[in-house]
Amino acid sequence: MADRILIVDDEEDIRVVLKISLSDLGYEVYTAENGEEALQIIEEVTPPIVLTDIRMPVMDGLELLRKIKQEDPETEVIMITGHGDMDLAIESLKHEATDFITKPIKDELLEIALKRANERITMRRQLREYTEHLEDLVREKSAKLVEAERLIAVGQVVEGLSSAMKNIVEDLESGLTYFNEMPCFVSIHNSNNEVVGTNQLYKERLGNKIGRGSWEIYASSAASQENCPVGKTFSTGKGQRRRERVKNLNGSELPVMVHTAPIRNRDGKVELVLEMAADLTEVSRLQEDLLTCQQRYQLLFDAAPCYFTVQDRDLKLMAANKKFLEDFGMQFGSFCSQAYSHDGEPHPECPVWKTFEEGESQQAETVVTAKSGEQYNVLIWTAPIKNVAGEVTHVMEMSTNITQIRQLQDHLSSLGLLIGSISHGIKGLLTGLDGGMYRLESGFEKEDQERIKEGWEIVRHMIGRIRNMSLDLLYYAKERDLQWERTDVLTFANDVALTVEPKALGHNIEFVRDFDASAGEFEVDAGVLASALTNILENALDACLEDNSKKAHKIIFGVRQDKDDIIFDVSDNGIGMDEETREKMFTLFYSSKGREGTGLGLFISNNIIVQHEGSVQVDSTPGEGSRFTVRMPKILPDEIKTLQKD
Amino acid sequence: MAKKILVVDDDPNVVYYLVGLFHDNGYETCAAHNAPEAFDMLQKEKPDLITLDIDMPEVTGPQFYRKYTKMDDLKDIPVIIISGLAKPHLAVKKAVAVVEKPFDRDQLLKIVKDTIGE
Repeated sequence: MADRILIVDDEEDIRVVLKISLSDLGYEVYTAENGEEALQIIEEVTPPIVLTDIRMPVMDGLELLRKIKQEDPETEVIMITGHGDMDLAIESLKHEATDFITKPIKDELLEIALKRANERITMRRQLREYTEHLEDLVREKSAKLVEAERLIAVGQVVEGLSSAMKNIVEDLESGLTYFNEMPCFVSIHNSNNEVVGTNQLYKERLGNKIGRGSWEIYASSAASQENCPVGKTFSTGKGQRRRERVKNLNGSELPVMVHTAPIRNRDGKVELVLEMAADLTEVSRLQEDLLTCQQRYQLLFDAAPCYFTVQDRDLKLMAANKKFLEDFGMQFGSFCSQAYSHDGEPHPECPVWKTFEEGESQQAETVVTAKSGEQYNVLIWTAPIKNVAGEVTHVMEMSTNITQIRQLQDHLSSLGLLIGSISHGIKGLLTGLDGGMYRLESGFEKEDQERIKEGWEIVRHMIGRIRNMSLDLLYYAKERDLQWERTDVLTFANDVALTVEPKALGHNIEFVRDFDASAGEFEVDAGVLASALTNILENALDACLEDNSKKAHKIIFGVRQDKDDIIFDVSDNGIGMDEETREKMFTLFYSSKGREGTGLGLFISNNIIVQHEGSVQVDSTPGEGSRFTVRMPKILPDEIKTLQKD
Repeated sequence: MAKKILVVDDDPNVVYYLVGLFHDNGYETCAAHNAPEAFDMLQKEKPDLITLDIDMPEVTGPQFYRKYTKMDDLKDIPVIIISGLAKPHLAVKKAVAVVEKPFDRDQLLKIVKDTIGE
């Protein structure tokens, strides 16, 4: 019920009576004697109900009603009318007066009018309350909707995140099929430790846990609200990183690595927690795959027919393949120079060092020493290994053993040299042959027997030399296997002596055979060794012929034996050799004889002896003579014999 | 009077051949087997022509040539190079002719005749 009421009437009696009645009804009553006064009071106290006479001076009731409704439409206005004012009464209702009562005022009717006014007020209040409540309801419901949408959005973020990560991984390496499924359970939790969103894998493997406790997936001690990673994140406000076990849908347990991250609202309060659990079995499977892959590369690395090493900035060996280890041996962390040259001094032109300096691949060729002591020609190729920042952290070195190629090249360039040297020699021989033929022809023309004989001697000499040179060349051009057989030493030595002795005697040079009669037999390719010894004997002969300082010359050809070897000695008292000649005489194309020599003789002799696993020793003094000691094994080593059968 | 030719070559067979050839064709000859010997012979015999080998031990043909052409009384003696080297003409630029071994003896005799006459 309204508490305040305003009575407006120009008749004081009526105001008093009404005031008394209304006060009895419990109203706080205000009075005014005209419209103007009434408006002032309304402005002050805003009475919900106004009771007003229609006929009044200054401002009548109708005018007041219009003003009141204009100011506050909710104010209930009850009109008081006299008899015969029906038209005015109806007019006032048109202007939204609540009711009208007639004079003389009957209490009954007044109460009915007041009741109606109060009902309207109540109704209006209720309506307002309803309206306002509806707004609250809408606000409440909308908030719930927003929350729901937000959760959906969170779920989408989670799924989006996982699929994005999956896509990234796929994009990175489309070949790595094991990444097709993100091995990661992603979920979002609210502050009640409830799961509010999960990714698909979580749902498939751990079950639909939305609305359930954050700890429920755990099998370990984390399976409680306080101890689970999400609970810890809420209580500490910090992200967690733990190794835990989760329960799979099929009842088995999975080892996981759990990461959580707090998601804060605007006030900095942790509102949600993001939990990501990586399946470690998946990770270890990936690690195994990686290991298999590495092993495959190692196999390739080891099987390659060259030397692979990886070296760091200090040129320390960090890795090497099997072939390198076999041929050079090394310890990881030792230096490449130690493995290659044993002196530990870094090579000044080291291609690995250059690669570190210049950041680019290098090529080089060098000679290295294997652990067996053998020297190898190697072609080196290097490649920088760079880190993400593009700095060279290591260098890979690949060396190919090109020793055989180099030997072949040596052989070829020797041949080239040989052909040059031989062609020069042959031109000389042919000129000499022309000379002999000219002498011979002119002898025939002049029927001069002496000329014919001289010419013929020259021709024969020249043909002999051309023949020797051709044989030397043929021998050099083709490496032949030994045609060995057991041979009687004395018979062999006598045969060799016979080829040289007449020539020596022809030049008045004494030729001595100093043979040990008990020398027995030895295994030898008699044909080739005979030519080697003949060559040495002919050299002795030439040494004597060139020497003018002594009256008599002598060549001693000796044969003796010791336990395992047969030893042939050839000594002369000819011109002898200086040190340089002695050192170089077995090298290809070295000749001390100028026009007469091809530079092949002793080179080939030495090769023949070495091929039998024998050896030659030379002692010589310039002006006094030389002594060649040729040591041949009585029994040829097995590998030489096997070689021959092949 | 017969013209005189000095034959210089370290190969005795070649010397023997050339000396015989020139002698048979009416020239006087003298011979040397190395550069020092040739230098002595040059001063002693004052030949009209020299045939010179290039590749000789100790002192080579061109070294010998440079030495004697520095001497006023000898420098105008013409020289024919007879060599087995592949590019002998590069060694002595002022040579009358360069003949490669083995040579055609009629061609050599013609060069000699064109240079100093019969």
